[in-house]
Amino acid sequence: MSKKPVLKGLSKFVRSMGVCMGACIGVAAFMLCTPALAQNSDDVGQAAPIQQTELNPQPQSGQTPAGLQERPKQEYAENYVFVDAGKRREFLELTAELRCPKCQNQNIADSDAPIAHDMRRKTYELMQEGKDKSQVIEWMKVRYGDFVHYQPPVNVVTIWLWVLPVLFAGSMLVFFILRRKPEIEQDIESKLARADQMLKDD
Amino acid sequence: MIRLARYLIPLFVFLGMCIFLYKGLYADPTIRKSEVLSKPFPVFELPDLEDVQILHTNEIFDGKVTLVNVWGVWCITCAIELPYLTALSENGLTVVGLYYDQDIDPNFGTKTLTRVRQEVAETVSRYGNPFAFNIFDVYRDTALDLGVTGAPESFLVDENGVIRVHHLGDVNPRVWRQKFSPVLNEIAPSIEASIALMNDAITGAQAGIGEGVSGE
Repeated sequence: MSKKPVLKGLSKFVRSMGVCMGACIGVAAFMLCTPALAQNSDDVGQAAPIQQTELNPQPQSGQTPAGLQERPKQEYAENYVFVDAGKRREFLELTAELRCPKCQNQNIADSDAPIAHDMRRKTYELMQEGKDKSQVIEWMKVRYGDFVHYQPPVNVVTIWLWVLPVLFAGSMLVFFILRRKPEIEQDIESKLARADQMLKDD
Repeated sequence: MIRLARYLIPLFVFLGMCIFLYKGLYADPTIRKSEVLSKPFPVFELPDLEDVQILHTNEIFDGKVTLVNVWGVWCITCAIELPYLTALSENGLTVVGLYYDQDIDPNFGTKTLTRVRQEVAETVSRYGNPFAFNIFDVYRDTALDLGVTGAPESFLVDENGVIRVHHLGDVNPRVWRQKFSPVLNEIAPSIEASIALMNDAITGAQAGIGEGVSGE
């Protein structure tokens, strides 16, 4: 068996790999663009936990432990009050970006888990203390890990998600270019001559 | 050689994908790395559930190994693990409850402290009381500092106040052997020896029951 068909098969294989490579680049480009798109969109606050609920009656004062009286309740009840519209927006962004650690794939604005209630309250409290967005996210990350934020950091582990597809696409491109050889016309002519000969022989 | 590679490379890629996806089928997405492991227990100053005049601080960990159990009467799994925790405490392990109840926070519910104490007394009288005392995490700040996502969660704290084990879910003989036993064996071997004997007795009895059923 001659070597040629094998090479031809291989070049077919490489060509289909070229298609894969194109798809990879497309996907990579899409992945790179999405965070930018998400940041530009304005509807982050759609799932806002802002509810104007009635405050619950306070337990009888004789039974209230010392700690309970330290903080006035309007400050962190679920009807969070913001004087500054920018702060309100920031709160909505934060609760949309922070991920509920108990439930799978819900942000703390959407989730009704007890932990999500507490995290919203804490987010509000931290903001009232004057902490900015990145500080609140950091506070949560210290306790719940990178899992808690919907934008994972680029580090030694996650960098491969970006590098591998590009590396694969690049290596395939190089392979494709190196493998591609112009077909020699003479070769085709001689083949045609051979085919003619075979037909005549029949 | 090239011909062989044409068949082998896709085969290996396929097998690799199979292994990766198969592992994914059985991966538990709720398992996460604890952020407090090997770190000192977060600084706290919280009242006792029974007597709010008593304030507990990190000094409770001084000089002994403590199992901190985050729980509440509203949590069913917490009640289920109470008998086993009680057995642990009977073997010399100090078990402290970190009690939290959203319903007692005036912002979330209407429960009174008296009512909560009543419910706690009822629950522990029914299922067993492992707790030396219960710390009342009024605003659940300490629970947040611990990275608690829901009850029950248990923390094994060594005599220097450092968290050595963080477990989500109930504690039972199987979990104990897997997660707690190696660590406790290191920091308090005598208590662990006693608990290991008890675990063997429990699983031995369970195996006996299983044999009886299958024999019939």
